Amino acid sequence: MDCGEAKELLSACLDGEASPKDSRRVEEHLAGCAGCKAVERRMRALDVGIARTETDVSPDFRDRLFSRMEAEELLPKRRSLFAFSFRWAALPLAAAAALGLFFLMSREAPRGPAAPGLAPQVAVIPPETLQFAVNRPGAAPSSPAPVPESPARTARETRPPEGTAVADRGELAAEEREIVAYLEILEDPSSFEEPGEIDEMEMFLPEGGKQG
Amino acid sequence: MELYREGSRDAFEELFSRHHRRVIQFCYRMTGDRARAEEAAQEVFLRIARAAFTYRATAKFTTWMFTIARRTTLNFLRDEKETGEKVPLRNGPWGEDTPGSLQVEGPAELDPERMAWSAQLGEKFVEALQRLPETYRTAFVLNRGDGLSYEEVAAVLGITVQAVKSRIFRAKEMLLGEISAVLR
Repeated sequence: MDCGEAKELLSACLDGEASPKDSRRVEEHLAGCAGCKAVERRMRALDVGIARTETDVSPDFRDRLFSRMEAEELLPKRRSLFAFSFRWAALPLAAAAALGLFFLMSREAPRGPAAPGLAPQVAVIPPETLQFAVNRPGAAPSSPAPVPESPARTARETRPPEGTAVADRGELAAEEREIVAYLEILEDPSSFEEPGEIDEMEMFLPEGGKQG
Repeated sequence: MELYREGSRDAFEELFSRHHRRVIQFCYRMTGDRARAEEAAQEVFLRIARAAFTYRATAKFTTWMFTIARRTTLNFLRDEKETGEKVPLRNGPWGEDTPGSLQVEGPAELDPERMAWSAQLGEKFVEALQRLPETYRTAFVLNRGDGLSYEEVAAVLGITVQAVKSRIFRAKEMLLGEISAVLR
């Protein structure tokens, strides 16, 4: 092997790209050639030199690149945590808002006649029954009234729940007042559950046995 | 790349964090200037993103990336040459892959330990690199600087492994001469 061939193979050996056979040949040559041995030493120095060429990276390199990529729409923009949360919270928020609006409107809506669709579902109580309930206890009804299925309930219906405005009830027809009374119970079931002033069994007691 | 093509930002960020240093170092060694290197490296990643749909998983990503990096850097240097800002490319007296003297010259003081402790060595070395013909410089930088094998360098440059071996040897030969000059 001459020095020219040895040097080129030496370069590949130092780069780890020579075959084992070529590596052995180069080693044999270097053992007997001071000139090529010096070349080997200098070639190794090149690896030290190139390792010294590492340069620092600017701290804003990444941000500059990503901004350019976003401007060119090459990089999907990262969603903020707020946007992510809001998206997932949108449905519950909308439901809560709708519920709140429903209650608000149901409280402030004028108490007129029931909606046509609702009317058939509301039992109409004869005015006589209402009169009977209002007059008890104490005064007897002016005319005999049929016994209702639940006189005590109808009696409670005549009592407006606390805080419920019924000032305009006098302008309503008797039938309408019944409906309003039922609606009030439906809106405030607690008033229905409250112990009333009239015992349900009281009406079955004989006249003299009624308790005050 | 597959995930990035499907629209994953995280995939590109991962790709960037893995490779950006190598790309920047490659560009620095090819251009010899830090600011230019970063500008070129930015362009490399932009081109990678634009060309993502042309990437085929059959090719090794680093090979594909350095192919783009090399072309980008060459365009960058040619543009600078046209505008007269910098003239890093020159045809050395050796030409490309032409047989020449295999004499390896160098100062006796090229001792690895002394070089390692030389504060200016890095800049001097990059300066010497710029004096090499681009074909030799690229092969040498890819192999010795970025750690690509001869086979990978051959794939990036589109030449044979034997040609890579020859170019790298000649690059070393020339570089030792240049280093002698810049350190003198």
